[in-house]
Amino acid sequence: MKNNIRVERAIKNITQADLAEKVGVSRQTINTIESQKYVPSTVLALKIARVFEKPLEDIFTLEEGD
Amino acid sequence: MKNHFLFPYWCRFLGWALFLFHIPVVIFKDNLGFRFDEDSQAQGLFNSHHVFFILTALLMTVGLFLVAFAKEKIEDEQIWSVRLESLRWAIYINYAILIVSLVFLDDVHHIMELNLWVPLIFFIVRFRWVIFRLNRLAGREN
Repeated sequence: MKNNIRVERAIKNITQADLAEKVGVSRQTINTIESQKYVPSTVLALKIARVFEKPLEDIFTLEEGD
Repeated sequence: MKNHFLFPYWCRFLGWALFLFHIPVVIFKDNLGFRFDEDSQAQGLFNSHHVFFILTALLMTVGLFLVAFAKEKIEDEQIWSVRLESLRWAIYINYAILIVSLVFLDDVHHIMELNLWVPLIFFIVRFRWVIFRLNRLAGREN
């Protein structure tokens, strides 16, 4: 699963730590999601999408092979 | 995410304290009045051997247990999945060691003591190592 959290963060000008605090996880978790080492749960993905005020699929997209 | 059945964060420090408690007990065991000769062994439930075992091996186990199952400062779903993964590895290793030692050793008492600690120690080491790596990774980003 791909995501463009890093781009969205840059647009909104918030750090990993800010985003982590808004969705209630650790900064390490945001970091591993961004580097695609960890796939978030649906709940967390929805929370992240809500922070960026965008629909889920604008931020997370399926890759080939998923 | 709600995580049930975990001890509060401060239990980690209590756990390490309990784990280290055996060191003074072992050093000062003569001053504390423990007698390990044959006579004292036979008497009742709370003989020297028994109390010494409770103060050392058992407190170490309780300490490790608290360390292993105390909450992290920030509990999130990734920590939860790392914890589960580490537990799975700990059980694998434990049973591998248990089966090999049951086949090749005849010392059931020591096998049981090994079994008391191996899963907890392996779990703690693996869990902390993964969290250390995650922290390092996140530290490099900023």
